[in-house]
Amino acid sequence: MDLVGYTILIPLAAGAIVRLVPDAFKGLKEGIALVVSALTFYFTIALFREGFVESGYFGKMLFRMDTLSSFVLLFIGFFGLVMVLYSLGFMRGKGNLKEYYSYWLLTLGGACGAVLANDMILFVTFWGFLGFTLYMLVMTGGPKAAGAAKKTMVIVGGTDALLVLAVAIVWVMTGSTSLTQESIPTVTGLSAFAFILFACAAFAKAGAMPFHSWIPDAAEHAPTSVVAYLPASVDKLLGIYLLARISLYLFNLTPGMQLLVLIVGAFTIIAAVMMALVQHDLKRLLSYHAVSQVGYMVLGVATLNPIGVAGGLFHMVNHAIYKGCLFLCAGSVEKEEGTTDLDSLGGLARYMPITFVTCLLAALAISGIPPLNGFVSKWMVYQGIIEMGRGGGYLWVLWLVAAMFGSALTLASFMKVLHAVFLGIRERKAGGDPKEVGLAMAIPMIVLATLCLAFGIFAFSIPLSGFILPAINGISWLSVPDVSQWLGWWSPGMATLFIVAGVGIGLIIYLAGRLKGTRTSSMYVGGEILEPEVRVTGTDFYTTVSDMGFFSTMYRWAEARTFDTYDIGRSISFYFIKGFRAAHTGILPEYLTWTLAGLLVLVLILLR
Amino acid sequence: MQIIPLFVAIPLGAAFFIPMVGRKNPRLSDTLANITTLALFLMALSVIGKATQVYWMGGWVPRLGIPVGINLVLDGVSIFMLVTITLISFLVTIYSIHYMDKFTSKARFYSLFLLMVAGMNGVALTGDLFNLYVFLEITSIASYALVAFGGQHEELEASFKYVVLGCVASTLVLLGIAITYAMTGSLNMAQVSTIIGGNFKPIHLFTMALFISGFGLKAALVPFHAWLPDAHPSAPAPISAMLSGVVIKTIGIYALVRVMLNVFGMTPLTSYILLVLGTISMVVGVLLCMGQDDIKRFLAYSSISQIGYIVLGFGLGTRLGIAAALFHLINHAVFKSLLFLNSGAVEYATGTRDFSKLGGLKDKMPVTTTTAVIGSMSIAGVPPLSGFWSKLFIIVACVQAERYGFAAWAAGVSVLTLAAYLRMLKRTFYGQPGEAQPAAREVPMSMKLSMVALAALCVVMGMLWMPHAQRTFLIPAARVLQEGLTYASSVLGM
Repeated sequence: MDLVGYTILIPLAAGAIVRLVPDAFKGLKEGIALVVSALTFYFTIALFREGFVESGYFGKMLFRMDTLSSFVLLFIGFFGLVMVLYSLGFMRGKGNLKEYYSYWLLTLGGACGAVLANDMILFVTFWGFLGFTLYMLVMTGGPKAAGAAKKTMVIVGGTDALLVLAVAIVWVMTGSTSLTQESIPTVTGLSAFAFILFACAAFAKAGAMPFHSWIPDAAEHAPTSVVAYLPASVDKLLGIYLLARISLYLFNLTPGMQLLVLIVGAFTIIAAVMMALVQHDLKRLLSYHAVSQVGYMVLGVATLNPIGVAGGLFHMVNHAIYKGCLFLCAGSVEKEEGTTDLDSLGGLARYMPITFVTCLLAALAISGIPPLNGFVSKWMVYQGIIEMGRGGGYLWVLWLVAAMFGSALTLASFMKVLHAVFLGIRERKAGGDPKEVGLAMAIPMIVLATLCLAFGIFAFSIPLSGFILPAINGISWLSVPDVSQWLGWWSPGMATLFIVAGVGIGLIIYLAGRLKGTRTSSMYVGGEILEPEVRVTGTDFYTTVSDMGFFSTMYRWAEARTFDTYDIGRSISFYFIKGFRAAHTGILPEYLTWTLAGLLVLVLILLR
Repeated sequence: MQIIPLFVAIPLGAAFFIPMVGRKNPRLSDTLANITTLALFLMALSVIGKATQVYWMGGWVPRLGIPVGINLVLDGVSIFMLVTITLISFLVTIYSIHYMDKFTSKARFYSLFLLMVAGMNGVALTGDLFNLYVFLEITSIASYALVAFGGQHEELEASFKYVVLGCVASTLVLLGIAITYAMTGSLNMAQVSTIIGGNFKPIHLFTMALFISGFGLKAALVPFHAWLPDAHPSAPAPISAMLSGVVIKTIGIYALVRVMLNVFGMTPLTSYILLVLGTISMVVGVLLCMGQDDIKRFLAYSSISQIGYIVLGFGLGTRLGIAAALFHLINHAVFKSLLFLNSGAVEYATGTRDFSKLGGLKDKMPVTTTTAVIGSMSIAGVPPLSGFWSKLFIIVACVQAERYGFAAWAAGVSVLTLAAYLRMLKRTFYGQPGEAQPAAREVPMSMKLSMVALAALCVVMGMLWMPHAQRTFLIPAARVLQEGLTYASSVLGM
């Protein structure tokens, strides 16, 4: 047994053990979960430092870790630990803890296994198992979550069946089950089909359209810590990891296939962010952004040039950090206020300063405000698209517009969130004021928010040269010797200086104004003096958009789930089911007729 | 002492012995029945890996290579089937200890049950076509009676339909056997095989049509499936588990495959017919299953769909396809029995099988819930459970045989199966508590025991594909079927 084996088996075994721990031992489940997650994080660091690991069992090279998988693995370990810490506070006093921590650890082990696997069959095994643990984790949200859990599993588990078919095709075509074998050109129909099936699985896990619809439902009903852990961070890492693995290693994409992926990416950005604009529930809103941001990663990877791919991978890590942080903040708000409905929240900034500041940082990061990390990776994706445009054609303008426009809409949407949750006036409620969350919940939020800053300001020195560039240079046809012009003309250090200076000047002006004393007057709208109780919640900020002719129709259809792959599939199935059920009348002579008809057809075929 | 005839003799003897001594004492019947099935299971385990053996009844060995008596053949496939049958029947008899308490005459139940087992063991072992028909009828008639065991209106109606369609099937098979005898002058499968030898006249093709539809009826392939959704749910839960778990496989699929592959020999046309029949069953079965509101009818339709997978694998005719089909056969026997036992536990605890009255049983029945989740995930093909591996290899076998369309259907049906089972889990165990939930209690020990054992098998059975187990158990069975007509020479010793 080597380090690879420990990283995978210890969490899996611990998950099985936690399931059997009697309820009498209070705190034991949490203790095991914390210790094992910390240990796994340690193992992933150790593996990351080794850089390249191969590990064979039964005479087969089952596991292989290269520069692409090593940093994904590192972040899976990292999020496993951070989110467990948060869960200690968040899940305290809730039921189902045994199942919760058990499936949590199984997920951790399965995710490590999926990233480390080199054998495709082994990869599918871990990958499919993760779908099952996700299902069970969503299910810990109680009876109400059952519907969302089912939908999640149908989409994620259903695409696993497609993945099995894809693996079968590649296996028979090449005679090998290695995920890192020679690139297969997607010129024939069969290999193109295999690529599309692989991509479907990646899109479903990461939540790109049209396989995204499980994320908003799961986010609404599952425990928030589960959402922060899986759909927001680890599932994104895995989905984009698979997309990168198949697009950069396993297959050699033709321009047509590349176009397909680009379309998915661009469409996901715009459509999901439009949906996010009109949400009234904080968790649903965040989850639509979790879908929208996948578009950037997909676009980045699909550019197939060094800077774009690096941007896509970097964005994957950044997104996991800030979206994880945002969901944790939402969880804190939920814990204190008992709701995530934007209409009934407000004014929390003074009660929960840590949550507010971390949420602010993460919100600015996701909106792509310099000098935070989200800006750098989006910037690199833009550069990648422009770089691709040098190859000719005009479509690249479309991708660039989608990416930039999506970024602007994200900012708009988060203005609404910040206002509705933290600013404005808090609705008077019974039961005292909300308090700041405890240490176990605060530390993860602070750590993630700090990373948002650090990965932005020191983008080149920490993340890019630490793991993104090595991952790119690990792919022979993608590597570039000269990395000096990688960031275009963006210099994060200088920019930060300017921004800090700008903020400082603003502060000085504000303080200078305060010295003189400002004039205050009561709110005055349309000839009426507003009472302090009248609140502006922020949810109505963008009703103008949803009231516009074209958009209002689209939104109405979207609300009716006309575009939901899951519901479309369901109505098609039930169309056939109705017909078949009507045929089964229970009348014996009819059944006898079928039998004889069957015999007759067989005779005709055989004797023709 | 020859072990081969004991597989039939022991359950047959016990079937008559138990009602004689156990009439007044149900616990004695329980004990005797469990000992019998355990002994059979151990015997089946003891013959794994053995070379082909032939037992000539009454010591009438063939003269000059021409068989004069009836023979029982223990080859790879027979061993495989015996293990499957005896494993499930053992676990089902454990379950029956408590479950059957609510019925009055336990001794009669075990008598019919063991008769059914004797019939199936006979079907798996026999090397004679008419003998096959006799054992087929023993199994069928015992199962007709068992379906009607509850004695209520619904059971009797279902049993009646089952009898009528079952008799049609038996007639078709008998007609096929009669024509074969008229053509070849022999009923011995090995000898018939040497005489026909892949050399088909139109009358042989007509016989094949009779066999496909006759055995297809017993196996409930679409469009011959109509009896199954009534018969399987009406029987007591242990019998439903047996019917869906092993009976349709033994007297339907095994008999079909044995006759098609070893006696007549597969042609591209018959291969294609099996592929199409399998795919139609797969698709229609799962779609019907998705719309059911009765948990046992739901499971019954799902059996039709899974049988489709097995026939698809056999229809490929390649070594991998046959091995994967056999693998799915034993896996399906395990998880479908488990799921029927789960449904029995639900009915036992709540008195209903209706989705609209169930729901939220998770906290009341943790063992049943956990095992049902494992069974459902296994049938839906979620790794690392057993169903995943067999479906994976069926799909790989389809791709390998360049049957891409069929591979896509198999993958697609897998998605629908998953959706269907998630719906069942949601409506029964998770979701909002239904009206039957408050009164529910976890079931007694013996029922839990057998469900847990089956669930554990679902988890570990993927191991059958590991090289060693594969060599000793799966491959010998697949080889017998794949090598088709060499069956004759190995039986007749030529």
